[in-house]
Amino acid sequence: MIDAVFAPVVAFFKPLGLNYAFLLDAMDRQAFWRGMGVTLELCLLVIPCSLAAGVLIAAALTSGRTWLALPTRAFVEVTRNTPTLVQLYCAFLVLNMLITQQLHQYGANPLTPLMWVVIVVSLHKGVFHAEALRAGIEAVPRVTLEAARSLGFSRRQLLWRVELPLAVRFALPSLINNLVDLVKMTAVASAIAVGDVTYESIMIWTQRDNVLELLLLILLYFGLLTWFVSVVGRWLETRLRMPGYGQ
Amino acid sequence: MSTQKFGFTRSAVALTLAAASAWLGSTPAHADDTLDRIKERKRVVIGVVVSGGPFGAIDPATQQLTGFNPEVARGLAQGLGTDVELVAVLPSNRIQYLQQKRVDLLVASMEWTEERAAQLTFAPTPYYRNGGAAIFRKDSGITRWEDLAGKPVCLSQGSNYGKPLTEQYGAQLKGFRGASESLLALRGGNCVAAVHDGTLIYRLVEDDAEWKGYAAPFDELIPSPSVVWVRPGEKDTAQAVDRVIQGWHRDGWLIATEKSVGISRPSAALVELQGAARAQAPLPQWAQK
Repeated sequence: MIDAVFAPVVAFFKPLGLNYAFLLDAMDRQAFWRGMGVTLELCLLVIPCSLAAGVLIAAALTSGRTWLALPTRAFVEVTRNTPTLVQLYCAFLVLNMLITQQLHQYGANPLTPLMWVVIVVSLHKGVFHAEALRAGIEAVPRVTLEAARSLGFSRRQLLWRVELPLAVRFALPSLINNLVDLVKMTAVASAIAVGDVTYESIMIWTQRDNVLELLLLILLYFGLLTWFVSVVGRWLETRLRMPGYGQ
Repeated sequence: MSTQKFGFTRSAVALTLAAASAWLGSTPAHADDTLDRIKERKRVVIGVVVSGGPFGAIDPATQQLTGFNPEVARGLAQGLGTDVELVAVLPSNRIQYLQQKRVDLLVASMEWTEERAAQLTFAPTPYYRNGGAAIFRKDSGITRWEDLAGKPVCLSQGSNYGKPLTEQYGAQLKGFRGASESLLALRGGNCVAAVHDGTLIYRLVEDDAEWKGYAAPFDELIPSPSVVWVRPGEKDTAQAVDRVIQGWHRDGWLIATEKSVGISRPSAALVELQGAARAQAPLPQWAQK
């Protein structure tokens, strides 16, 4: 039944020199489909996790407490200045191995490769979110903060009710920019055999040699996902727009 | 104006598609320009896999490629009477290197398989024989290949052991960029076994103290002849390479090289091939395609 749908598609691309015959093979087709699902799942996990990490890091950076701000600053610099792939390899191949060895007597290591991707990518991008938010926090007018303090706002209330709502609005374009990058960054999962769309494609093309065809599909899929993120971003920008700020 | 523009776009698309299909390796128009180019430039570019150990490694002091694959590649260049440039490739990208003409030949521990023979041309005389070995913890309770059914097994992306592992034994594959990542993942407990070339695995269980909790006791998976690969249709290049390899089997150069690079288990396949070459007999059964 499904073959009947894909056969004309395969036949259409054949004269163009594009061999999509893998669509007629149930195993390969399911693998690719599963890969698309895993990529979507990764995006849905990594976007909220990275934003949460970003808020925490930004709060620590702007807290004004040296014992908190200084180590966080060091973490930001290290994370920002090393490649994601290297971080992922270090975390998954080195850290994970050490954890497994430590836990060997107690049983299996509960951390899956997918969790490592979510942790590493969220922290990596969280740092960039934090810098964007910090710019937003520092752009909040001093008089606004003084007014809030004079109304008896505590430090936490100040952050949650005054600084962050304004900071998010200031930082929104760069946050959306980061999220678009984040969606693309999930492709590093393929390096540690998490079955995202890139990984499944690699596994298919090493057997079938249809690199160009699969890369076109991956391109299209990521293009769709990032387009969706930017549409949501634009909608948020108009929705959160405040008269009198940046207009 | 707008139609003109459309016409231009269309021809651009056609050009791109034509380029794409040529790049995909549809039969080239001229028979074999690689051999001409090699002779003309007095230089051959060979892709080799250097995954560590006596089969191919990078010398940390000199950055030179050392080991069996690089030595065979250098020997080939010498046999062809040219200089050599070695390019380190990975199992996951070696075919692309060949197709995009970034290398002329592959001496990349790449065994003969039907699928590969359908898309590439090769020199028919093998220079080695390679099979897959499974390495796993001694306490894992695995006693035969069949025990891998339904369990995660680490391997390299592009490995030809994937097919028999899934189709024959029903293992769940986890493909990594290279053997080193896959082996680290095995030690991290992300798979119950790792399957790679026996030549790599036996060295680990025999001489590596870090791997003393691990074993690789099975018979080799699909032992197949390693051959030199060239781009599809380039029969002349393949033939020139084949003559050099045949010469090696007659004079025993491969067996000497195997010894000089420090391979601990001498290959029975090389002895068989030498016997056949000296008796001017056809290739042994396993090496025939």
